[in-house]
Amino acid sequence: MNTLSEKQLHELSSIVRVGMSEASRSLTIWLQRDVHVATEEVKQVSLEIVTELLGPGDMTICACWMHISGGINGKLLFGFDDASGLKLCDALLSRSMKSVEWGELEKSAAMETTNIIGCAFLNAIAQVFPKVPDGQLRQKDATWIPTPPIFVRDFAASIMQFAMIDQVSESDRVLVVEIQFTIDITPVNWRLLLIPDAESLKQLVGIPYE
Amino acid sequence: MSKSADIDDTLVAMAGIGVAQHRGTLRTLLGSCIGVALFERKLKLVGLTHIVMPDSMGREQPVGKYADTAIPEAIRQMKRLSGVLHLSLSAKIAGGANMFAHVSPGSTNAIGDQNVAAVEKILESLQIPTLGKHLGGTAGRRMVIDVESGYVQIHILGKSMVQL
Repeated sequence: MNTLSEKQLHELSSIVRVGMSEASRSLTIWLQRDVHVATEEVKQVSLEIVTELLGPGDMTICACWMHISGGINGKLLFGFDDASGLKLCDALLSRSMKSVEWGELEKSAAMETTNIIGCAFLNAIAQVFPKVPDGQLRQKDATWIPTPPIFVRDFAASIMQFAMIDQVSESDRVLVVEIQFTIDITPVNWRLLLIPDAESLKQLVGIPYE
Repeated sequence: MSKSADIDDTLVAMAGIGVAQHRGTLRTLLGSCIGVALFERKLKLVGLTHIVMPDSMGREQPVGKYADTAIPEAIRQMKRLSGVLHLSLSAKIAGGANMFAHVSPGSTNAIGDQNVAAVEKILESLQIPTLGKHLGGTAGRRMVIDVESGYVQIHILGKSMVQL
């Protein structure tokens, strides 16, 4: 099983913190609101737990998803429930009335927000990510390339199954980077998840952090 | 590997197995995974597995994760619950979606297809007929089984409920 040590998880948390600092700063500028990271956590969790990271399994949630390659290969998901996601759109679109459903404009706003937060996050961690022993692919300052985000709305468990299926093919626990935010001091139900693929997980396990 | 919201409703988690007899519901949430419901109608006995991968390749745990270990284990648990050694079983299966098919061809879809093929092969080898299936597509599914009637409801967001 590909399990990271406590030291490796701790070191990865330090790297993630750098990325989240940039991500929250870019969100603050983008939303013109005061956005901070409430919690960030790097953890390896069981299959039962991981499907509920974005909410109870049969809760309807939304997620904007990007495939990433070049540094860690895997998936980056920005997930939120309907109310939290639409609140984000209303803030972006300067609406005084609460939106109640996802139209093309709202989806586009959510995807663009994911693009901004995702790129800020990846650019920041690419600068501090360590070189792995085999020297392949994960070189410091390597270019990390995300695909354009896409929007999905489905059961939380169904979305998470897809997000982690690659890791699950080789492991019974899933490495996840989970970040939650506050906006104007108030916690919001937005979560950014970084889920490496199986091959990247192997490489992360191989980093000694000496 | 399963938990109950109340005594009559059991949620079968990823790589989990649930069994029930006489009454209640078993349910699971599916994306690319496969839900396999096994029925012994005369006994009002149901087993539900949430299969993640097609082949254990000799791994023994978690037993509910792989098609080749989950289905025999579900049958074993059904026999234990009912106390009956020779069950006359049928099956209904659902799942195997590729939610991002248009942007992510490759492994996820392949795993869904491999899961379906593995499940169908195992059911055939055990001479368990498949009475209903709801597979593929690009959306997640909630699979809910009424133990007493044997009806399987498939819920997909934004679509009418399908009954198997």
